[in-house]
Amino acid sequence: VAKTSLTSPPWPEVPKLPDPVEEAKYHAEVVQKVNGLISAGQYGRLFAVVHFASKQWKVTSEDLIMMDNVLEAECGDRIRLEKVLLVGADDFTLVGRPLLGKDLVRVEATVIEKTESWPKIHMRFRKKHNYQRKRIIMNPQTVLRINTIEIYPCLS
Amino acid sequence: MVVLSAARWVRSRLSDRFWRVQEVLKYARHFRGRKNRCYKLAVRSVRRAFVRSTKARREKKRFLRALWITRIEAASLEHGLKYPAFIGNLLKSQVELNRKVLADLAIYEPKTFKSLAALAQRRRQEGFLAALGDGKEPEGIFSRVVHHH
Repeated sequence: VAKTSLTSPPWPEVPKLPDPVEEAKYHAEVVQKVNGLISAGQYGRLFAVVHFASKQWKVTSEDLIMMDNVLEAECGDRIRLEKVLLVGADDFTLVGRPLLGKDLVRVEATVIEKTESWPKIHMRFRKKHNYQRKRIIMNPQTVLRINTIEIYPCLS
Repeated sequence: MVVLSAARWVRSRLSDRFWRVQEVLKYARHFRGRKNRCYKLAVRSVRRAFVRSTKARREKKRFLRALWITRIEAASLEHGLKYPAFIGNLLKSQVELNRKVLADLAIYEPKTFKSLAALAQRRRQEGFLAALGDGKEPEGIFSRVVHHH
């Protein structure tokens, strides 16, 4: 039969999904492999995506984070950052939907510094109306240093 | 004799005019032309500069978001996906990474970004099959929603 413009639907052919049973076996294999790698400790530097202070940060060990608010912790306090969205190494990544379990990742940080920001100038001006207001804004800031990121082999 | 009010020819005169003028000129030192030296011109330029920096602080957020979106679009096109497909399918599979982090991953962690693109592609195809098949076919694996309690 000749091919016309209406023989096949206008959307592209969707390839069939692989067999679910085989898929499940493949997934279990991959999970076991990754578990083996984690328990053997065969990963280099770990990076993590952490949700903290209503922002998401891509974080590694020994790096600094500065947030634009006050933290109720003294300088030198060790803090554990929960709400980890993603953890990755060179060979594997663990993606949370949306968060990863607390028994899987552990991100530790120390509060280093609590300062104010540089004086920002907030100026309002309306022309021809003799209206100008100037205000100096200095936000409190906190600096954290991420000490370690650890993962434990409890995947299933 | 007791003087209760100061004599009329004694006026109070400014003694720190220099420092008041310097307070404004210090913000104008890197401007071009006479407005970095002359107070009258500098006052107007400095006022406009302050107002513009205030407004720019609000527009920086919009500008950065557009930049992140451009970068994510470029990276996902390298993996064969368009930006709306990528973001939409990531959100449907309950991965809530924001655009800033996705752009950083696209630059510094290419393997991770490739895996995220593959995840979005697979979820997209499962969506298509769910929409077209509409029968007793098995639902996709990546379309299952995780429930947290």
